[in-house]
Amino acid sequence: MNNSENNGSQVIVVTSGKGGVGKTTTVANVSCALARMGYKVAVMDLDIGLKKLDLILGLENRVIYDIVQVIEGECTLKQALVKDKRFNHLYMLPAAQTRNKDDITPEQVKALCDEMRKDFHFIFIDCPAGIEQGFRNAISAADKAIVVTNPEVSAVRDADRIIGMLESAQFKDIKLIINRIRMDMVKSGNMLSIEDLLEHLCIELLGVVPEDKNVVVSTNKGEPIILNEKSAAAIAFNNIARRIAGEKVEIPDFSENSSFWSRIKTLFSR
Amino acid sequence: MIDFLKKIYARENSSSRDKANERLRIVLAHDRTGTSTHLIEVLKEEIIEVIKKHVEIDGTPEVTIVHEGRQSALDINIPLKGR
Ligand SMILES: Nc1ncnc2c1ncn2[C@@H]1O[C@H](COP(=O)(O)OP(=O)(O)OP(=O)(O)O)[C@@H](O)[C@H]1O
Ligand SMILES: [Mg+2]
Repeated sequence: MNNSENNGSQVIVVTSGKGGVGKTTTVANVSCALARMGYKVAVMDLDIGLKKLDLILGLENRVIYDIVQVIEGECTLKQALVKDKRFNHLYMLPAAQTRNKDDITPEQVKALCDEMRKDFHFIFIDCPAGIEQGFRNAISAADKAIVVTNPEVSAVRDADRIIGMLESAQFKDIKLIINRIRMDMVKSGNMLSIEDLLEHLCIELLGVVPEDKNVVVSTNKGEPIILNEKSAAAIAFNNIARRIAGEKVEIPDFSENSSFWSRIKTLFSR
Repeated sequence: MIDFLKKIYARENSSSRDKANERLRIVLAHDRTGTSTHLIEVLKEEIIEVIKKHVEIDGTPEVTIVHEGRQSALDINIPLKGR
């Protein structure tokens, strides 16, 4: 880490409202992909009391301190940051497992992020499910928000609620990731399509991640899916990382409705 | 015959996605505005009462929530009797 670059750092919160839609999976894989591209990346687990990011990244045995201890002054930020074993530029700030979401405040999270900005290009915040204190802590320091949802009525309803709350909190940059889509089911009329979700939620699409069995396999091993070049989800997460870094990457042609896809493509090539 | 069966099959299958869209449209309209179906009914009745005092209504009035992007508006359509 060096202290020379403090401008242009981005704090991005990944949130959803509904639990289990893929926030932690997204944070883990997108941050690994960006670190592999050479960016300095930190991930902050704010799911205090129910932490999972360390497990998904396979870093659970390296955790010594946690974010609450940093905030309470028991250790320094540097001591608490866990360095990833595969990617040189990736660090994780672990959540506390035996504490509560209201043991920290939005102001404390903001101060911590400001301290980290000088060392990282990207700081991802893994937000807990729900709209309570944990959510408020997670969005307080963020410049941008990524809303993850599934093509399913309850997940879309929660995503809509979250988007409304982010807009009230003055977020200008809110983008959508649709996770766990099955194009075969969309085609047979048994799943909401990408177009349906964009019509309901009216926000910009950042990426689409298909349902992929490899995600479960990677999670079992504690390895990021992006290391599996053959996985469809890996390709999707890599593309999302490149879009976050400012590259223009088309959303692959899922061949649902060509005129729709050409519209999306123009959206991203602007 | 096969074409016919295919059509029936397609129609049956499209129903769950269509149904999901229809339900979402209604639920999001109410979530965003903090209104209920009941409130819309009450509004409709009261609006009609006020209008009726001054002009004659013809047909069925409609009160719905419509969207422009993420903005919502109350759409009131009250047909009036011509002379
Ligand atoms: N694209 C995918 N294909 C298949 N399985 C997936 C996919 N994305 C996520 N999953 C699985 O869904 C489950 C929930 O994912 P994850 O923990 O990332 O969600 P979350 O939103 O962080 O949940 P929580 O709200 O509990 O924090 C995990 O078991 C994960 O392996
Ligand atoms: Mg999670």
